Amino acid sequence: MRTALAHADLFLRGSGPFLPEQAASRPGWWLPLMVVAFSPIYGAFMGSFDLGSAERLLIIAYSGAKVPLLLFATTALCLPGFFVLNTVLGLRDDFREAVQAVLAGQAGLSIALASLAPLTRFWYFSCGSYRAALLFNAAMFTVATAAGQIIMLRYYRPLVRRNRRHRLMLMVWVGLYAFVGMQMGWMLRPFIGDPKAPVAFFRQEPFSNAYVVIARLIFR
Amino acid sequence: MLSAFKQLDELLRGRITSPGRLAEGKVELSLRRFVPLAVGLGASYGFFMGWYALSIYWGGTSPEPQRCWQLLASMVKLPALFLLTLMVTFPSLYVFNAMVGCRLSFTATLRLLVGAIAVNVAVAASLGPILGFFTVSTTSYPFMVLLNVAFLAVAGCVALAFLLNTLQRLAYPVVPPPAPTSPPPPDAPTDMGRSSLAEFSTAPPRELGPLDPQPSPMPDYAIGQAKTIFRIWLLIYCLVGAQMGWVLRPFIGNPNMPFSWFRPRSGNFFQAVFHQIQALLGLN
Repeated sequence: MRTALAHADLFLRGSGPFLPEQAASRPGWWLPLMVVAFSPIYGAFMGSFDLGSAERLLIIAYSGAKVPLLLFATTALCLPGFFVLNTVLGLRDDFREAVQAVLAGQAGLSIALASLAPLTRFWYFSCGSYRAALLFNAAMFTVATAAGQIIMLRYYRPLVRRNRRHRLMLMVWVGLYAFVGMQMGWMLRPFIGDPKAPVAFFRQEPFSNAYVVIARLIFR
Repeated sequence: MLSAFKQLDELLRGRITSPGRLAEGKVELSLRRFVPLAVGLGASYGFFMGWYALSIYWGGTSPEPQRCWQLLASMVKLPALFLLTLMVTFPSLYVFNAMVGCRLSFTATLRLLVGAIAVNVAVAASLGPILGFFTVSTTSYPFMVLLNVAFLAVAGCVALAFLLNTLQRLAYPVVPPPAPTSPPPPDAPTDMGRSSLAEFSTAPPRELGPLDPQPSPMPDYAIGQAKTIFRIWLLIYCLVGAQMGWVLRPFIGNPNMPFSWFRPRSGNFFQAVFHQIQALLGLN
């Protein structure tokens, strides 16, 4: 446990084995491990909005499982396209490092989320509105995503210095990930758990498309 | 099978179309390998495309068993779209090339175009999992149409960039690489950026990707004619491709219409995309 926290500390500082310039000696497998270790913490806190009955405790477990699922499933869907586009742009030799940078971004997002979890719980405690809880979680995800982006950029910088096309691929990744991630998040709802709705892993309604819903909200 | 994918990998990495291998105006791309590969990759994208009709069928909103045929139709039609576009455009592309004295032979032109199609369908197929994910979670037909148009446009742009770069490499004579320059004296003043570049200059030279520009471009007067032909290539290829897609529709299968292998010929591709945008935004 202490080793894991020490690694997380070195990772956040970008020092020791996680120095952005030292890709060869970087323990890359720590990055997904950090996602698995930290993202469920926020998920669990996120699902603790309504603790009125024993059944509702299930949402804590569900959300704890769904946050890493959201991150990994989105990555898995985006990776084939990212791989082929990197190859076509002549960046294949750096692909391992590019994936590590992407995973570093997600590890950073997970750690940032975990650090914001107590804040979320405090918000639930002090404000009982479900709508306010939704907005607060959106804000926390935005903050954590910004932190993840900063860390990803830190690992992408040596790549961009080597070949400017990595900047384009970074933008492609961010765009693709955001596009798929938003729909994945919509599909995996509920994360917080509406107190008026029954407890369920997935919403008891047919799947729908987040972008279509937004477009109709704006244009109708 | 594995060797076919290895060859595809070589193509995507730009090794098959590296300036050195194109030096004699030959494209070393096996048609026997790449045509079936392009068909297979196109069919895999077609699978994700046609899956929408199947998911609608399973969802029960349009429960006609015939809808399952759409999956097969899409798997057949998508590779057909590319190969038929090639069949239609190839003669004129070759003739225009020959007219301006481009050194590409008949088979080299064909191989180059098959290579571009392979790149196109490989990029499209790599986006297939995302398409499949949206297919499973979306009932909106206009959204699926626009998503497919977007993905195929991205794949098409990459393929066109590949085609243009390879054509440029073929059209320009290969200039021998410049002699390595001597390193600056150690006491020479350097700023941060330069020192970081100097750090990388000791590394072995990176191989050119398929979209990397020719390192020693010819002067403007020499490339004018070739550029005109490239533009004609682009225009013909894009217009025929878009219209071929329109002729071969339905690819996705409108849930409000019964399954049919082909639809009556009316309107055009660009009109249809405009209507789908309107439908998605609820403006019609």
